Amino acid sequence: MLTTLVLAALLQQPTAAPAPPPPPPGPPALEVGAVAPDFALPGATRYGTLKNPVRLSDYKGKTVVLAFFFKARTSG
Amino acid sequence: MNAYRDQYAQLFKNGRKIVLIAISADPDTALASWARDAEYPFVFASDTGTAVGKKYGAIARFPGMTNRNLFVVGPDGKIAYRATPFREIDPTAYTELGAAINKLVPADTTGR
Repeated sequence: MLTTLVLAALLQQPTAAPAPPPPPPGPPALEVGAVAPDFALPGATRYGTLKNPVRLSDYKGKTVVLAFFFKARTSG
Repeated sequence: MNAYRDQYAQLFKNGRKIVLIAISADPDTALASWARDAEYPFVFASDTGTAVGKKYGAIARFPGMTNRNLFVVGPDGKIAYRATPFREIDPTAYTELGAAINKLVPADTTGR
């Protein structure tokens, strides 16, 4: 009898929902349709660092893929 | 990055009418030496301070680093596709990216 009561009480315990992952820090990712902000950053290729900064506006009229990643020499 | 390199011809059409810019918070010298060693055929941009990462919303949980978010900017200067984050080990991520690129960059019929 006691076991049944304990079991019943346990079964009535609300099961805690798994906590959602915390949102990433910083502003949310730009949405599709948003104007891509221009930037000017030091650039590099396999031939060395670039003399002039890499600017998004230099590629107007072309399709540009911006691939952010964690860190050089990692698989990320 | 190795997947981008290995699929550069197919996915990024060898850079014809399309530009791949890989961005991280590393100094440009570190990016250049990595690109040289791994023979990456595309451009890197050094976002030390992650100001551009913040503008695009690509900040990692690790302090001072950018997240693996990918944005395709169309010829009109607007975001045409995004993968936030880009799932680099998932083959469908590349299929989706390829489809998004092909919408913007028509297949080259001249063979050149």
